[in-house]
Parts: sequence; C-alpha cells; structure tokens
Amino acid sequence: YVTSGPAAMLRALRRCRPGPALGAALSPAARPGPGPEPLPGPFPAWGPRLVPARGRKTRNDPPAKSKASRLKLPPPVDPEELLVVTERYRLHRLVLSALRAEFRAEVLQKKREAQLSREDSVELSEEHRRLMAWNDAENARQRARREERLRKEEEEEKRQKLHAAEQGARRLEAFLKEKEKEVLQLQEEAKTFITPENLDARIEECLDNPRNYNFAIDKDGRVVKRTVLS
Amino acid sequence: MPMKGRFPVRRTLQYLSQGDVIFKSAVKVMTVNYNTAGERSEGARKFVFFNIPQIQYKNPWVQIMLFRNMTPSPFVRFYLDNGEQVLVDVEDKTNKEITEHIRKILGKTKGTLEKEEKERKKLSHPATFGPKKYHLRECMCEIEGQVPCPSVVPLPKEMRGKYKAAFKKEA
Repeated sequence: YVTSGPAAMLRALRRCRPGPALGAALSPAARPGPGPEPLPGPFPAWGPRLVPARGRKTRNDPPAKSKASRLKLPPPVDPEELLVVTERYRLHRLVLSALRAEFRAEVLQKKREAQLSREDSVELSEEHRRLMAWNDAENARQRARREERLRKEEEEEKRQKLHAAEQGARRLEAFLKEKEKEVLQLQEEAKTFITPENLDARIEECLDNPRNYNFAIDKDGRVVKRTVLS
Repeated sequence: MPMKGRFPVRRTLQYLSQGDVIFKSAVKVMTVNYNTAGERSEGARKFVFFNIPQIQYKNPWVQIMLFRNMTPSPFVRFYLDNGEQVLVDVEDKTNKEITEHIRKILGKTKGTLEKEEKERKKLSHPATFGPKKYHLRECMCEIEGQVPCPSVVPLPKEMRGKYKAAFKKEA
C-alpha cells in the first residue's frame, strides 16, 4: 500500500505549479509582465494532440488548431496549506467516525438488552406454560366429547341393527305363518275335492239337489226376491 | 374490474386489517389438517376460508400450510422456534371459536401490542418534517399555524426578497 506521509506528498506536489503564496516568492520579484510564462516548470510530455475535446466532437476527432499550443496543468497548490488542511480533515473525520461508531454500538447494545430482557424473562415462559396447559386441557375436553359421541354413535348403530334384525325375523315369521295357513286351508279344501273315485257319487248328489241361483240382492246384501225353481 | 372469487370481500384491505390474531415471535409455522367434506370439519373449513387470509396478512413471516383429506378429524398444529409443537383439536368448533382459542394460546395480548406500538412511536418524533418515508410532513408550510406554502397563498410583500431588495435600494 502507498505510504502517504507528508514527505511523499511533497515529492508529488513538486511536479505541480507552485501555489499563489510560493509562486509569488519563487518567481523573479517585481514581475509586472501580464500572465504566467508559457512553460512554467515541468509539464506532461504529450504532443500537440492532447486529450480530445468533449461535447460536440467524438473521442476520435482531433482537437482544434487553436488548441495546438494549449498546455493543461493541474491547479496550483500550496503544499504547506494542503498539508495542514489534509491533516486537519483527517483528524476531524477520524473523530467523527469514532463518535458515530460509538453511538451505533450503544444503540445496538440497548436494543439487544431490551430484546433479551423481553424474551428471556421468567414470567413470559410461565405464561407460555400456563397457556399450553390450558390448551392441553381443552384438547382433553374435546377428546372426551369426541369419545362420548363415538360411543353414542356405536350404541345407536347397535340398536338399529338389533331392531332391523328383529323386524326381519318378525317378517319371516309372519310369512311362514301365512304359508302355513294357506297349506292348512288347502288341506281342508282337499277333503271336498272331486276325485275320479267319487265323481259318480258327486254327480248323483248334484242332480238330486238342484240349487237356485236366481235371486235379487239389495245394497246391504240381503236377498230380496227369489224365483221359484221349476 | 370484475370481483374475483366467491367472497371477494376477503381480498379487501379493510377486511384483512380487521384480523386481530398476531402471533408471538416464537411461532414460525402453522399447519391446518382438515377435510373438504363432512360436518365435523365445517368449522375448520370456514376458518381456512375466512380467517386464514387475515392471519397471514397480519403475520407475513409465518408459514401456513393446509393439508386436505389426510386426517379423520381436523386439527391445527403450530411449530415454535424452540422445536415445540402445539396441537389444537378443532373438531366440532366454529371458526370464531377456533380463532379465539388460537389467539388465547399463541397470540400477542392487547397489552403487549400497545407497548410495542408505544416503543415504535418513541423512535420517531412527530414534530420533525422531512422525506415522507420518515416523517409525517415534508415542509414547514404543511404544519398548522405556520406560514402557508407560497405556491398556494402568495407571501405578503414584506416577506418577499424582491421587495426587500428594492426597499433597501431606496433607502
């Protein structure tokens, strides 16, 4: 890294034009001539084609003819003044940045302390535990309610199934009874059936007992008139 | 511009800012397991539909995940930054009850919120003026009781530079 002490700076400054204070002392006294010399001291060894002009021309255009003899020099600097001023600025900036860093650190420290004291406190964790316990109690209550409900639902289901089974059994029973009755009735009727054996006897019987179906009936079902069987 | 969704009011800033569940800084992730059908998840469904946008608006740094039809009964699970997991059973609860429960166990209390508000107010002085980002007012002319902005109300002759200069020249 460059050593930037006052000696190195003086060496660099020697290449510049002398400042107004030293320039008047160094140059031959009582110089009423107007303007400085055309070549006062060392200058950068560029040719007449110096740095191209800005503005209207591009960087490839040559500068104007009137600028051929122009010699651009850095601004005049008083080395002592510069040294003094830079030293003062350095001290000033050093002090200011130190102050700023100090204040920043203080603010950060305060913030961190506040955060710690806020989060780490015993009562906060106590509160948290209490709330968690309450939450667990709520969950337990909910679990109890749920189990109760499930139990009820199971009972209900069992009852329904039983009921359905009973009804089914009853229906089956009724059906069987019906069929039984029919069978018995048929058996009874079978006694009066006409079989090939008693066919002749039944025919004789029918011919012997003529029945008269010629009768009138009123709305109540009572026989009103009867024709005489001839 | 047409309104989007079944209840577009959920997208309004007014509705979102009405959410009052602000989680403690320890809560990092919230997970909701619920079913899309069945009357036991009804409260959870309503909670997810109506209240979760409000919660997310107020807690932008909390990750909220929803899992559908993976559980026989709905629940909400919170993952805190110390590894602790908090389980909340939300079966047979209305969405209001769920929000109240959550606010009670993991939300910042009103007292804490007020304290934080006061701290924030302390950082900035309301009497200073400057860029709108940091102050309430930008120019002295906006403060009541001060000289109004010359762009709106012209200054009296005595305060204007040109008249003062002319006066001096005269004298």
